[in-house]
Amino acid sequence: MISARGLTRAFDGTIAVEHLSFDVPDGKLCALLGPNGAGKTTTVRMLLGLIGPTAGTARVAGHELSRGPEANHALRGVCGLLTEAPGFYDRMSAWDNLLFFGRLYGLGDGVLKPRLQHYLKQMELWDRRDGLVGEFSKGMKQRLAIIRALFHDPKVVFLDEPTSGLDPEAALAVRELILRLKSEGRTILVCTHNLDEAERLADLIGIMRRRLLAFGTIADLRAGAGGGSGSAVRITLTSGAAEHAAALAQLPFVHDPQPTGAIIACRVDDPTADVPRVVAWLVGRGAGVLEVRPAADSLETIYLQHVRGDA
Amino acid sequence: MNVLLLFLAKEWRDIRSNSRVLPVYLILPLVAVLIPVLFAVALPEMLRVGQAKGDPGILLMIRAVQAMPEFAGKALDKAMTQYMLRNAAALFLLMPVAISSTAAAFSVVGEKQQRTLEPILATPITDRQFLLGKLLAALVPTVAVTWGAAAIDVLLVDALTWSRFGGPVLPDRFWVLGVLVLAPLTGAAVVLVTMRYSARSTDPQAAVQHTALMTLPGFLLLLGVFGKLLTVSFTAAWGACLLVAAISLWLFRGNVRTFRREEILTRWK
Repeated sequence: MISARGLTRAFDGTIAVEHLSFDVPDGKLCALLGPNGAGKTTTVRMLLGLIGPTAGTARVAGHELSRGPEANHALRGVCGLLTEAPGFYDRMSAWDNLLFFGRLYGLGDGVLKPRLQHYLKQMELWDRRDGLVGEFSKGMKQRLAIIRALFHDPKVVFLDEPTSGLDPEAALAVRELILRLKSEGRTILVCTHNLDEAERLADLIGIMRRRLLAFGTIADLRAGAGGGSGSAVRITLTSGAAEHAAALAQLPFVHDPQPTGAIIACRVDDPTADVPRVVAWLVGRGAGVLEVRPAADSLETIYLQHVRGDA
Repeated sequence: MNVLLLFLAKEWRDIRSNSRVLPVYLILPLVAVLIPVLFAVALPEMLRVGQAKGDPGILLMIRAVQAMPEFAGKALDKAMTQYMLRNAAALFLLMPVAISSTAAAFSVVGEKQQRTLEPILATPITDRQFLLGKLLAALVPTVAVTWGAAAIDVLLVDALTWSRFGGPVLPDRFWVLGVLVLAPLTGAAVVLVTMRYSARSTDPQAAVQHTALMTLPGFLLLLGVFGKLLTVSFTAAWGACLLVAAISLWLFRGNVRTFRREEILTRWK
């Protein structure tokens, strides 16, 4: 489990992360979304004990975050980290690189080598284990870095931009692996810009820009419980969508009506009460209403709504 | 494998596989072997010519060596050879300093450049383990090369001078103390200074230059002022060892205290 309470970090007086509080239960995958510089990597580094928080506390995999240069070793021992850049020794083979990092985790060769074999085969890198990492493609290095994040069997895994810069096939392979990790019961925190990826993988989504703008399941975010406002509705008319959309904007409980072809997309405060009122109002104006149905906001819409709203 | 030895094993592999680094580990040791051998072979002739011509430098050196109690009663040829070889041990003091500074300069900033620092710091190792591992990685190969070159030097010099002196001229106790104790300790001190710059620098080249600026003038000055004393007084030689050991310990503690994981991770781009 990951549990953060009021986690704050300032650098030279500039606040990078402000009062972050959230919980990721055991076995759940949380995607942390946010623009560049939103504080996602800083958050991961704080949760892993690599940098200390200016204020606040966190508990990760049963370990309370503590302060000081010699702190958090036990915490780091039960967490895995995929850094934004893979970071390997180019002149060493994949096998030797993984052995080096595995031994830094204190794993004996009797445990480490079979695990490496297992993961290298799973990642389809077994045949390339003796190749120099400097000759690997970005996708191969990323898969190798994922192995490094896993070979010590961590309870909590932090993945910083796991599919960044990968071709679609490699990205798919990584996504499948993340799902496998989730099915193994690991708690996972993924930092990503890829909203589609987050929507497909995550149980919980956090949208942050320095502070947490929204947090919850995708359904929570769509319903506005995570901080969004109103519910999205799609109204299909026989004709005149543009004209009726402009008129709809006058209604106080209708927000942001956007015509596209014969459809008006808008948000209403309370669907149960407002949708019948909207339909009656449109019919009263002579509109031919063919269909009204709730429209699930894409994560992109929700994300942009929050991030732009915070700008 | 012990965590501390992991960095050493990696460094060793790097040296063997990097054709650009390997010459650094070969050229200086070769020079350090050849110069004493040349001294040993050419000294009798140099003395003969110097004395014949009345060379004031040679005559002064002869008088100085003859005045040393430990050379009293020894043939001039043997005494001078032993004394000159003892002085040539300074080359073995320089070797760890010169060779290990490059590895030390890369010790932290190199990891950062390769983007391997964060994955390393994300493991459960402590700052002390990381820094001690890096110290060993930079120092041990150099000391091994230094001792290897010194052993070859002993064998060559004794083989070439045995017939002349009827026994070995190397190693003598000054030479043993200098090569086995003072050289590694001096190397450690310089590596620790370089590592401190490496942890603060964004460029390994700058770390090497800073270290050279900070350590070499002082090192050469000390050698100039106290070098002679170190070849004459065994107590002074031991004192130098203890002093450099204390400096190295102080530097290591300072490095651990001033190592800023956060700063290194967040400020460097």
